[in-house]
Amino acid sequence: MERDLDQLYTALNAIKVLRSNVGSVFETVSNGLRADHGEEGKENKFMLELQDVLTTVNNNLRDVETAAANLTPPPGPFNLGNTAYLSQETTQERQALYGQLVNSYKWTDKIREYSTLAGNILATNSFNKTYKTFSTTKRRKTQTSNHNVPPEVIENLITGIDRLFPDVTINATRPFVPNPVIQASLGRVLKAIIAFKGLMIEWVIVKAHSESSDLWTESRYKVFRKVTENCHAAMCHFYSPTMPDLAVRSFMHWFHSYNTLFSCSCKRCGNHLHSNLPPTWRDLRTLEPYHEECK
Amino acid sequence: MGVTVVQNFPITENRTGPSTIELLTKRISALGAIQQGHFLVDCETYTSVPQLGNPRTVHILHNSEQPATVFSILETENKTIPLATDGLFDLLMIKMANFYTSKKQTKAESKGPRYEIGDFLVKLGTVTVSQNFKGVLVEVEYRPCVVPAMCWELMREFLQGFLGSTAQSAPPLYLQNRMQDIYSPIDTIHQYLEQFTIYRKAPGLRT
Ligand SMILES: [Zn+2]
Repeated sequence: MERDLDQLYTALNAIKVLRSNVGSVFETVSNGLRADHGEEGKENKFMLELQDVLTTVNNNLRDVETAAANLTPPPGPFNLGNTAYLSQETTQERQALYGQLVNSYKWTDKIREYSTLAGNILATNSFNKTYKTFSTTKRRKTQTSNHNVPPEVIENLITGIDRLFPDVTINATRPFVPNPVIQASLGRVLKAIIAFKGLMIEWVIVKAHSESSDLWTESRYKVFRKVTENCHAAMCHFYSPTMPDLAVRSFMHWFHSYNTLFSCSCKRCGNHLHSNLPPTWRDLRTLEPYHEECK
Repeated sequence: MGVTVVQNFPITENRTGPSTIELLTKRISALGAIQQGHFLVDCETYTSVPQLGNPRTVHILHNSEQPATVFSILETENKTIPLATDGLFDLLMIKMANFYTSKKQTKAESKGPRYEIGDFLVKLGTVTVSQNFKGVLVEVEYRPCVVPAMCWELMREFLQGFLGSTAQSAPPLYLQNRMQDIYSPIDTIHQYLEQFTIYRKAPGLRT
């Protein structure tokens, strides 16, 4: 492909040179005899000059022919699909579509390239969110999917969590039906907005009660930004592809320990504050509070 | 708006008001605080004219943290009624000048630099009562938390780290009965009024 392109460029270049030199032939002819040919033997000088330019054109033509011979002709007509009709578009505002189309094609192509690279790098990392096995000896029974489950199953899980902790209030919204976004209020301490992908926790963000409940803007308070960070770590830690509902329950159990965020001192140093922050980390097993620096 | 504690910082014999503020500024800057503008809390007190019957007192307070709000606290014999209104209330008070008169010598204010340090907000206020320097008020707000009972210990640790032994070991009197309530801006106003009342009564500097 790369080589083909190079050859195409060479050929196009050769044509450009040819055209420009043909242009100078005509220029010479149209100018006819000029003052700088002098008086003596001016016809001869003119003829020699014309011969020179014609030879150049001849050479250029040969170059074009060789370059063209080197090109591999495309196997068939290019299939542009429905986009071919774009060229027949007459309305002014849509004529720009083709350019945009080409740009987005390039963009997707780049995405594909980068994601392949990223995929290769991530494949060496053991943090897999999907359960897969490469055993070839025995065909395993197909795993039940975690991200494509009936809404009732998720509904039951959420009601289950709601009942489990009296001081956690849960509000669920479903912008995309099987993937609810819940807002879990932990007493009067904080609220977390948790997005599910089927039975998996996909994203968590922790904020103050007074802040907006959208999934994307982070809290303006350092302490909640830190807790958000730690929630992400815990979300990965508790994830279990074979028992997704248990993973969610363990996460919520751990998350619930933040009801003492402001009132508990650090288990290691005994202080409330370290770099002006309360203990923002909770041990994943014992749920004991620690400062980031003390854990 | 988070839980806020307002406390007096005693001025020792060999110090003046500005040098005390300077000392506190040095301490808070050493902890990594960054100055974010200035603040002002002021208080004017009006009393009802005798024709109105039982005497009533209205305190009008402004806080630069809530610039569009006028806070008023009405004190009758057995009740205290707080009110938060918009700026027009100031004009209303002018209209009522025939019924409520202000004692001009009592205009109290606390103003000075405002600092941010982590999630804390620290304000170092120079207190004057009718233009006379009276002392230094330190205000500390822990913005992420709204229930005093939850974060009092944490705030006490912060106050001690910054004010040393002069930090109060108990929550401000006003807060003590409201430790489980959700904190709101009027609670800060109450604390300022509590402090201003003490400053007004003190004959000279409050130490
Ligand atoms: Zn610690």
